[in-house]
Amino acid sequence: METMTLKLRVWRQPSTATDGELVEYTASNVSPDMSFLELLDVVNDGLIKKGEDPVAFDSDCREGICGSCGMVISGVAHGPKSATTACQLFMRHFNDGDTVTVEPWRANAFPVVKDLVVDRSAFDRIQAAGGYVSVDAGGAVDANEMLIPKGDADAAMDAAACIGCGACVASCKNASASLFVGAKVTQLSLMPQGQPERDRRVLSMVEQMEAEGFGPCSNEGECEAVCPKEISVSHIQTLHREYIRASLRRITST
Amino acid sequence: MSAVVGFLASSIGRKVTMALSGLLMFLFLVTHLAANLLVLVDPEAYNEYSHALISNPLIYIAEAGLLALFVAHLISGIAVWRKGQTARSISYRDNRWAGGASHKSLASATMIVTGTFFIIFVPLHILWFKFGTYYDAGNGVRDLHRLVVEEFQDPLLVAFYVVGMAVLGFHLWHGIGSAFESLGVAHRPKVRQAGRMIAVVLAGGFMIIPLVIFFTGGGF
Amino acid sequence: MLEGKFPEGPLESKWERHKFDMSLVAPANRRKHSVIVVGTGLAGASAASTLGELGYNVKAFTILDSPRRSHSIAAQGGINAAKNYKNDGDSVYRLFYDTIKGGDYRSREANVHRLAEVSVDIIDQCAAQGVPFAREYGGTLSNRSFGGAQVSRTFYARGQTGQQLLLGAYGSLMRQVDRGQVELLTRREMLDLVLVDGAARGIITRDLVTGAIERHAADTVLLCTGGYGNIYFLSTNAGNSNVTAAWRCARRGAYMANPCYVQIHPTCIPQSDEFQSKLTLMSESLRNDGRVWVPKTAGDERSPQQIPEDERDYFLERKYPSFGNLVPRDVASRNAKSVCDEGRGVGSTGRAVYLDFSDAIDRLGANVIAERYGNLFQMYERISGDDVYVEKAMRIYPAVHYVMGGLWVDYNLMSNIPGLHVLGEANFSDHGANRLGASALMQGLADGYFIAPYTVPHYLANAKLEPVGTDHPAFEEAEKSVRERVDALLAVDGSKTVLEFHRDLGKIMWNKVGMSRNEQGLKEALSELRALRDEFWRDVKVAGEAADLNKNLEHALRVADYFEFGELLIRDALDRAESCGGHFREESQTEEGEAKRKDDIYAYVAAWEYKGTDQEPELHKEPLTFDFVEVKQRSYK
Repeated sequence: METMTLKLRVWRQPSTATDGELVEYTASNVSPDMSFLELLDVVNDGLIKKGEDPVAFDSDCREGICGSCGMVISGVAHGPKSATTACQLFMRHFNDGDTVTVEPWRANAFPVVKDLVVDRSAFDRIQAAGGYVSVDAGGAVDANEMLIPKGDADAAMDAAACIGCGACVASCKNASASLFVGAKVTQLSLMPQGQPERDRRVLSMVEQMEAEGFGPCSNEGECEAVCPKEISVSHIQTLHREYIRASLRRITST
Repeated sequence: MSAVVGFLASSIGRKVTMALSGLLMFLFLVTHLAANLLVLVDPEAYNEYSHALISNPLIYIAEAGLLALFVAHLISGIAVWRKGQTARSISYRDNRWAGGASHKSLASATMIVTGTFFIIFVPLHILWFKFGTYYDAGNGVRDLHRLVVEEFQDPLLVAFYVVGMAVLGFHLWHGIGSAFESLGVAHRPKVRQAGRMIAVVLAGGFMIIPLVIFFTGGGF
Repeated sequence: MLEGKFPEGPLESKWERHKFDMSLVAPANRRKHSVIVVGTGLAGASAASTLGELGYNVKAFTILDSPRRSHSIAAQGGINAAKNYKNDGDSVYRLFYDTIKGGDYRSREANVHRLAEVSVDIIDQCAAQGVPFAREYGGTLSNRSFGGAQVSRTFYARGQTGQQLLLGAYGSLMRQVDRGQVELLTRREMLDLVLVDGAARGIITRDLVTGAIERHAADTVLLCTGGYGNIYFLSTNAGNSNVTAAWRCARRGAYMANPCYVQIHPTCIPQSDEFQSKLTLMSESLRNDGRVWVPKTAGDERSPQQIPEDERDYFLERKYPSFGNLVPRDVASRNAKSVCDEGRGVGSTGRAVYLDFSDAIDRLGANVIAERYGNLFQMYERISGDDVYVEKAMRIYPAVHYVMGGLWVDYNLMSNIPGLHVLGEANFSDHGANRLGASALMQGLADGYFIAPYTVPHYLANAKLEPVGTDHPAFEEAEKSVRERVDALLAVDGSKTVLEFHRDLGKIMWNKVGMSRNEQGLKEALSELRALRDEFWRDVKVAGEAADLNKNLEHALRVADYFEFGELLIRDALDRAESCGGHFREESQTEEGEAKRKDDIYAYVAAWEYKGTDQEPELHKEPLTFDFVEVKQRSYK
């Protein structure tokens, strides 16, 4: 099998508090069937053997669903192939001799922990602010007592497919989390279960999003273009509608 | 009250302010263009229309309104831009546009620049035309047509206006569609396409006026 | 003799009656109790949120940066529930029966019946949370038949059921975090269990960002840390899934039950090169329309479409005329292995068989096939680079997918260590020797939403628990042993990387303790594993420092535990000289080469007690009795 040699420029940053820099590594004998993360595995094994610190990066399922991995590869979040997470990006999409720059998600709301590892707990806090239906275990009615039109269920599923990787934030010039928040808000606003808390949810999730330091939506749509699950920016429009509606209701009720 | 302030201070609220003020100014520009085109077709009608406008005392309210829209758009725009800037302190070393589903364009990437341009353009525009030489067309009607024709004999001014309108078109290329998105209007691709077409037509329409006047010497 | 402590009475009313018999904790007293939940997958997130809802003080731990990433998220197919919405003859009893039979009569009747009972509540709960299950046009929930089941009882959310159920549980968990009822500790790995007066009273964790070793005390510990499939190095498990938390409990005296029961999934994308870090599963539904075959002659390197019909061996259809390509997972997997062992495997490595869609495309048209499997074909194309629409066939090979074995628990999901509860895949309890498709999600959520919230309070109400602080000598001792272990690994400073050791370990396990096992191979595996373990402690090179984010050190700690646990797995496989479910012993097969159970000897749960490194573990047997179901040999001929 033909193998490739690539030059990697990888962001190395020992910790949140320290400065980082791009460091060059040469990866040889790269198999086209390797994933990008497997390439980093091999580079790391080489570094370990040389007594150097391997490149830290998050990864878990390696099948594109957990949302752990995330890095900007050649200037694009998750790399050049659309609808693909870094773990599902295979080296057959690169050419021998390519120089590839690898950087962490950059957003003040996602501080770099080390190298390519960032802290995305801001997303958890946004979820905690209201990204759920408040129902305790045990109190549910029979599932078929709540009829949901197929179209609504399908549309809700489209929105719910978000894996929370943060590529939307990473790619947005304003580091906005609107797509992430919009996807959750849309999912629950489409379903009857989400109605009682509809206003409260969008208001508090947006408030939390602001508090975390994410920027405003740029309406450019880079987020959708890099989203591994191709979550549509139409969810951001829904978010805005929901937020305007809820705000007006709050204004008129006070 | 705090609910209103909370909404306006939120980034979505700011986007909404920017979108509404932008769209209202855009509507003003549509009427402005329609009226201005009269310069090319019917000088008298143009002067009469202008007269009707400026002789109406409501004009001050309208002008104050436009100024308010301009300021609101400016402030909300800068606030949105600044919030976006502060959301990422360290920039990428290698940053490329994603392409594909993205609508990112040179226009969308330079909104703050093209917008800021009008802080210079609009006062000059008002200075040259509102506060330009007063020609009397008789019956107390101002001969604005003459002023326009005279002003656009200057190639530098024509160039400035052509560039200015190109910048406007560029701003609206992203701005119109973006405003509808900020307001939560669905059907993004169609709205966006329509917005771009309208931006071209509007900017083109405004551009035609100085060009035609310059190249025909006003004797059309 | 070990006892499961099942309630008396008829099968159908055991759980109801037990729920009444168990003690309660008054609402005002609940906040006085603290609960540690380790792991935030389906079992952990559902348990932590539910106990939080009830008013207990919960601390939830995950090794990942967010609970939403736990590996439950990767489950594709669906979740079973005995709703009988399809009016096709399903019932709690039928789900119970299918699970017992599917588990090859190596699970407990009482547990399995309870699982089937609460399955219906799970669907209600998840639907109420806003999980976007697939629906019919009328708005009711959609069901499908899964994994060869005779009834349509599987609920699903596209091919992302695990994701949606986990996000539902995660939402509930985050709601309790917001209420302050659950404290969430992310990027924390449990490295030891702390026992005080014989009861589980806390854990030692490592902060994976700073490397700090921390102590956490509580009244009870719930271990929800998933399975140990990654001992095989290549599996469909996520990279961080590991045995360490469970194994550390085993070292503290918790019995490890049936570790040899490993489920191997037949339809995975084959390994392409030695750098491969994981295998990807494709939904079993592919076998509904795909035909499995290999060339009749070994070494045939032509592309699949160039091999004529009469030179193909559709070995599953040939050997199992009635079930054909839909034979159970273990049968399909084992047969794929054996044709590859004969040298008839395909692909660059020779370790794959074809799953062919030409017939289905001819019969139904490419559009119908694309509609059914388009996303799977896309996934296959992304990973392998091959287009199924052109090749008309994909290459598949079995991979380790799920483990039925785990820490031993009684009916209350408590291990033999008082206060140590074990939920989800981490326990051994409900699937016997083989798990049915779409039942893993069901069990995780059953344990977390509907069983532990009853049995854990029962424990708390009855246990005489003295207040214990983290300054207790037991915490001191446990922390010290964790520190020593970390330092020891970093001190080796050898020449071979952790990844290389893990890969080598995986090869031993896969080749000799994989789909097909025999006494000689198992004995060889045992000695090879020990030799590799010794080499590991002599020659491993772990990068970096203890007080830092150090993924290499995390991996090293886990691999070190695999070496110890692996020995137990092999011993269990050696002890069980019968074939049942996911465990196939070549010595125990019928004349036709089918699995043969030996119910008279092996109808027991093998619960192993750790006795120290290089010491023989002690086997405790929990006999399995079947009072309600007639025990039969499986036959798929």
